[in-house]
Amino acid sequence: MEQLASALVYMVIGVSVCAFYFYGSNFLLDKLFPTKNRAVTIVARNLRITTRIRPWLFLGPAIIFLTFYLFYPVVDSIILSFYGRAGKEFVGLSNYSWLFSNDEFLESFRNNMMWLVVVPTSATFLGLVIASMTDRIWWGNIAKTLIFMPMAISFVGASVIWKFIYDYQSAGNTQIGLLNAIVVFFGGEPQNWISMPFWNNFFLMVILIWIQTGFAMVILSAALRGIPDETIEAAVLDGANGIQIFFKIMVPQIWGTIAVVWTTITILVLKVFDIVLAMTNGQWNTQVLANQMFTWMFRGGGDFGRGAVIALVIMVLVTPIMIWNIRRANQEMEGR
Amino acid sequence: MKKSLLAAALALSFSAHSVFAQDLIFPPGKDTRFNWSSYDALKSEHLQGKKITVFGPWTGDEKTRFENVIAYFEAATGADVVYDGSDSFEQQIVIDTQGGSAPNVSIFPQPGLASDLAAKGYLTPLSEKAKEGVLKDYAAGKSWVKLATFKGPHHKDHFYGVFYRADLKSLVWYSPDNFADAGYQVPKTMEQLKALTKQIVADGGTPWCIGLGSGAATGWPATDWVEDLLLRMQPPSVYDGWVTNKVKFNDPRIVDAIKEFGWFARNNKFVYGGTSAVGTTDFRDSPKGLFTSPPQCYMVKQASFVTAFFPKDVEVGVDADFFYFPPFASKKDLGRPVEGAGTLATITKDSKGAHDFVNFLRSPIAHEIWMAQGGFLSPDLKANPAVYSNDIERREGKILLDATTFRFDASDLMPGRIGAGAFWTGMVNYINGEPAKDVANDIQKTWDALKKN
Repeated sequence: MEQLASALVYMVIGVSVCAFYFYGSNFLLDKLFPTKNRAVTIVARNLRITTRIRPWLFLGPAIIFLTFYLFYPVVDSIILSFYGRAGKEFVGLSNYSWLFSNDEFLESFRNNMMWLVVVPTSATFLGLVIASMTDRIWWGNIAKTLIFMPMAISFVGASVIWKFIYDYQSAGNTQIGLLNAIVVFFGGEPQNWISMPFWNNFFLMVILIWIQTGFAMVILSAALRGIPDETIEAAVLDGANGIQIFFKIMVPQIWGTIAVVWTTITILVLKVFDIVLAMTNGQWNTQVLANQMFTWMFRGGGDFGRGAVIALVIMVLVTPIMIWNIRRANQEMEGR
Repeated sequence: MKKSLLAAALALSFSAHSVFAQDLIFPPGKDTRFNWSSYDALKSEHLQGKKITVFGPWTGDEKTRFENVIAYFEAATGADVVYDGSDSFEQQIVIDTQGGSAPNVSIFPQPGLASDLAAKGYLTPLSEKAKEGVLKDYAAGKSWVKLATFKGPHHKDHFYGVFYRADLKSLVWYSPDNFADAGYQVPKTMEQLKALTKQIVADGGTPWCIGLGSGAATGWPATDWVEDLLLRMQPPSVYDGWVTNKVKFNDPRIVDAIKEFGWFARNNKFVYGGTSAVGTTDFRDSPKGLFTSPPQCYMVKQASFVTAFFPKDVEVGVDADFFYFPPFASKKDLGRPVEGAGTLATITKDSKGAHDFVNFLRSPIAHEIWMAQGGFLSPDLKANPAVYSNDIERREGKILLDATTFRFDASDLMPGRIGAGAFWTGMVNYINGEPAKDVANDIQKTWDALKKN
């Protein structure tokens, strides 16, 4: 209750400060360089000045925040990666050599790659299929709402829900877990899904797919609606069947959007942390890079050097995809 | 509407802690079993309006009980003490100290973590007076002082903390009714305990409930098993060497202790739900099997604090009781070792109030107020055992005060990455079927890598 109240207070304060800043700074600028009731030359000059300053006023807070919360941490991580656990003594490249001989790192790297292949593919594919199918049925919008809903659940919240789905009770007991209840109903043996090495990775991935399919569906559904009807009509007249229309007419036209959705999810997957932390904390061979970084950085007294090295690996993996993603998005924009 | 909501929210957030701060649950001076003199002595400290922030691992009920203790300090000194508890204390305190937003007083469940932070210079050493107080007042005071003495940032030893609240690990919980119905006797030796385990299986029952699940700390209950068994199989010097890695983790003596744990936990007939349930069953849920009808299991090995997780209608002392995790009859020379743990109050942001508060935590009254509320064992000789809320805790307290060999939970003393990381993971993997030797090798490998740093 106390937390709720203070969160509410901070929210109100935060929003008002923002509103005050934008409104106030804008007002001040107009006051300093008035553009009304003055000589034409002054008005022209003031207009020039205000149009030059105004964007910076509005961009200012974002730039400052990005510098402090993005640029500075990146630089600091790079520096820390050459230092020891307390971030004080210089250790050269030893953190890096430790990393690449560390079994746990190789395990989390392998797991991350699996996540990388499975989650964006499945989420995008499912999103695309659902988007095109729900466009044709009368209860499509209801279905879409239901599928989109997991997007609103935090990762930890989703993990708690799925913990109940994967819950394991030994044979002979009432199965609280949905999945085991179904297995037992059909006469199977209950399984401890979470501690089943290798496959448990996929059970965790399902959670993220569940969350992200809604995102893919919404974006792709909008893209599908943007396809000119004439192209589809022409295909129908030429005698193409449904599957041919979907793969040869529709998909090529929204290829750009698919790529953006795909890469956006890819970036998210590279940073996957909450789900693994809440479900297994990396036990049973489910470790991923972000959780390993957190573990080294903050657990058991913390080790800033090694934590920073893992953080840099994640950054190096994310950056090219992100650049490509932004380029792609820009091209899309120009096309409009 | 919006305005009134905001006003209500503001009022709530500002009034919340002052409301229940002033109620003292045991009126001072009334009950003569308490050491009121140590409360009255507090009144000479004047901290009117001074704010002291305290951060610890206690949440829920335990938080309420601790806040009841704090109320006495506030009433006597006029200070404003704000306690905050977190389930992820271990991570949070590292972030807070290094981020420069440390609380005045931090209460560590793992001395190993405190020693890490002390080496980085985030802890303030306590006064000589505090150290002498612990030496004099605590049972086996020397060992408590030693456990709280770490190397500071300049590689010099300092005394950093006061143990407040101890836990007794070497206990096995059972239901006296179930034992009586089945005609089982409380085992006095490890051999008898193993025979009883087999006997229960032969009678068609399941002897043990074991759960290693504990959120981000999954695996720790198994470390207690291994430690307790090691103390019963090898002299304490091996245990001490193991803590500092003089005895390697993959030493055959350690591997044997892990295998001994496997004798209990890696036998599908010995544990409720079979071995595959052990890793994911929450340790808080595991004792519930003792009280079902018919019982899911007959015994749970867990520390003294586990009574907090018994079902609400279970009366401790009547429906549930404990026996001492027995030693091997074949190793008489090892005596009756006891494994325990405790929480360590340290200063993470120096102020006069912080020192006063830590001093308060080693005074008898601070121990007694919680002892009387239940769920608290005290190593303080001056704290009156008569105030314990029940007989069970009084008996546990006696075991603690009388221990011949007392050893602190090894995993809490090892470097954090081992004791609160690799050891846990190793135990989870061991339960999942990995050989003991491989698990021990993995942990030793992590430890070696740690030393290079």
